[in-house]
Amino acid sequence: MTNVLVAALVGNGAVSGAVLDLLGGAADLAAQTGGQVTVAALGPGAARCASALISHGADLVLTCEEDALATHPGEAGALALVAASQATGATVILFPADTSGRDWAPRLAYRLGAGLVTDVTGWAEADGRLVWSRLVFGGKAEAKMASRRPVTIATVKPGAAKARRPDPERTGEARDLGLTITPDPAWPQVLETAVEQSSGPKLEEAKVIVSGGRGLGGPENFRYLAQLGAVLGAAVGASRAAVDEGWVPATWQIGQTGKAVAPDLYIAVGISGASQHLVGCSRSKVIVAINTDPDAPIFEHARLGLVGDYKEVLPTLTEALKEMLQK
Amino acid sequence: MHVVVLIKQVLDPEIPARAFRVDRLLQVPNVDRAPYVMSVFDGNALEVALKLREAKGGDVKITAVSLGPKGAEEMLRKALALTADAAVLINAEANSMDSMGKAKLLAAAIRTLDAVDLILAGRQAADWEAGQVGVMVAEELGLPCVPFVSRINPDGGSLKLRRELDDGYQTIRLPGPAVLTITNDETNVLRSAKVKDVMMAARKPLTTLSPADLGFSGEAAADPAIETLDLTVPEPRKRAEMIEGENLQAGARALARRLLELGAL
Ligand SMILES: Cc1cc2nc3c(=O)[nH]c(=O)nc-3n(C[C@H](O)[C@H](O)[C@H](O)COP(=O)(O)OP(=O)(O)OC[C@H]3O[C@@H](n4cnc5c(N)ncnc54)[C@H](O)[C@@H]3O)c2cc1C
Ligand SMILES: Nc1ncnc2c1ncn2[C@@H]1O[C@H](COP(=O)(O)O)[C@@H](O)[C@H]1O
Repeated sequence: MTNVLVAALVGNGAVSGAVLDLLGGAADLAAQTGGQVTVAALGPGAARCASALISHGADLVLTCEEDALATHPGEAGALALVAASQATGATVILFPADTSGRDWAPRLAYRLGAGLVTDVTGWAEADGRLVWSRLVFGGKAEAKMASRRPVTIATVKPGAAKARRPDPERTGEARDLGLTITPDPAWPQVLETAVEQSSGPKLEEAKVIVSGGRGLGGPENFRYLAQLGAVLGAAVGASRAAVDEGWVPATWQIGQTGKAVAPDLYIAVGISGASQHLVGCSRSKVIVAINTDPDAPIFEHARLGLVGDYKEVLPTLTEALKEMLQK
Repeated sequence: MHVVVLIKQVLDPEIPARAFRVDRLLQVPNVDRAPYVMSVFDGNALEVALKLREAKGGDVKITAVSLGPKGAEEMLRKALALTADAAVLINAEANSMDSMGKAKLLAAAIRTLDAVDLILAGRQAADWEAGQVGVMVAEELGLPCVPFVSRINPDGGSLKLRRELDDGYQTIRLPGPAVLTITNDETNVLRSAKVKDVMMAARKPLTTLSPADLGFSGEAAADPAIETLDLTVPEPRKRAEMIEGENLQAGARALARRLLELGAL
């Protein structure tokens, strides 16, 4: 019997799609063995998420709403997670591979002496043990890994699991962990959180993404992408090179160490197609590459390719699509 | 102020996918004349340390610490040429250890140094990409940890950090010693070394320690928490359908039509 714990930071009563997807995967994993699924929902407002979590497959929701989770997330979160693990006796603990999951998982693995596999893209049962898949060497190779400890922790990339259809009839229990967390004066303290506001759709949710790389040559040229994006209702993304140049914010980065996206259409402009970039966009249904170099590796991964200077291609492409879509 | 930067030597991550092979039996990359480099985010971490020293008017000692083969000395010399003050190599085969084992050895080496105020690690190593060792070093030393930091600014007696989030960033006050893991942004791209500093680097202290020197018996790599069962390279894909036209404008229009035909919009 495998009891599974899913642990996530919840913002003010809202559960992200990534957490619901992970919960779906956890529920399937537990169901195969007659085990239970617990969600540790951490953060002010967490209790308001309980019914949504239960309808999506949680048997038990453990909440902790201490303010310290917002002001001192790493240190406070680690304490809450140890308490939640002990309360459930889970042998598999899953985190979304986001900034808080990647922060918490190694702390918990250390404190529990657990095996930890990060950024997993999937898992399967083989010979009675769980085998985890993950990409290594910048996406150039795939490793299969297994834990040699009684408790295994994984951080899971988006797309590895799918949310269950919510069942409002489903019942489960929700209770508070009953933990009081008093921040230690030595703990790092959050003074301010700045959330970026973008006018278009979010990268993770966009149906179409137009993405730019070093080939754009400067920050002002992202307007070519914005114009095409406006016609397509697209979000704009970027390669790490464009972020490192300071042309766009780090939150736009797509790839191994940026966002993993899965739109219907991904248009890569002036991006060479390094494996670390492709890892982030390879789940797109159609990838289009526009690049001056006919030998750029991106053409080995795209569905459609056009060799040429984007400054000449994009204005005409924007106009043509605008006309065709109006019809 | 004493800042330790943890740097790992890795197989050059810029090796193109076409040239990348693995040895499935040994579960290691198998690349001709493989070049080894400083792991990319560790370079960002070193840059953050150098910027902090500049912001504090020079009063920062930087020690680079690495766990790896003898060949990693070359990378540590590079860190010294980039004006790190001292370097320590723990000479052991790191890749057969789990993250906890590496963290314990690195923490033991840090304990031998003069009072350390700040430890910087990369967010993840550019080979196996675990993203675990920095946080576990903090656990082992009983220090707080802030992951995904891109910038450090002195603020009176304490430090202010910028931590990158999935959808923005946070400003964080750091009251005292801690481990930070560093992620890239435009302010922390690693600089190049000056010729005169390269020459100076040869005279700076580079200490080599064995695990035994740190009180570890030969078993540092025994009983890893995680085992790798298989390592494979995915099949190469099919080349894109290339859109052509009399000129780029015609090509762009053909591309638009093809996108609609494919139902991509
Ligand atoms: C550990 C690690 C993690 C990383 N994580 C990421 C990540 O998350 N995301 C990421 O993107 N990268 C990541 N990288 C970096 C990655 O390896 C590449 O360096 C990066 O993706 C290159 O960005 P680029 O394609 O924009 O730039 P380049 O490789 O410089 O390519 C620019 C391209 O633009 C083309 N071009 C030039 N002019 C024009 C023009 N006028 N019109 C059209 N095309 C033109 C060129 O032919 C070239 O192909 C990571 C690297 C490491 C080591
Ligand atoms: N062998 C090593 N030597 C020095 N630092 C290391 C080593 N392994 C990991 N680190 C540090 O820990 C970070 C994260 O590594 P990892 O958890 O292996 O992805 C790296 O970016 C380094 O800063």
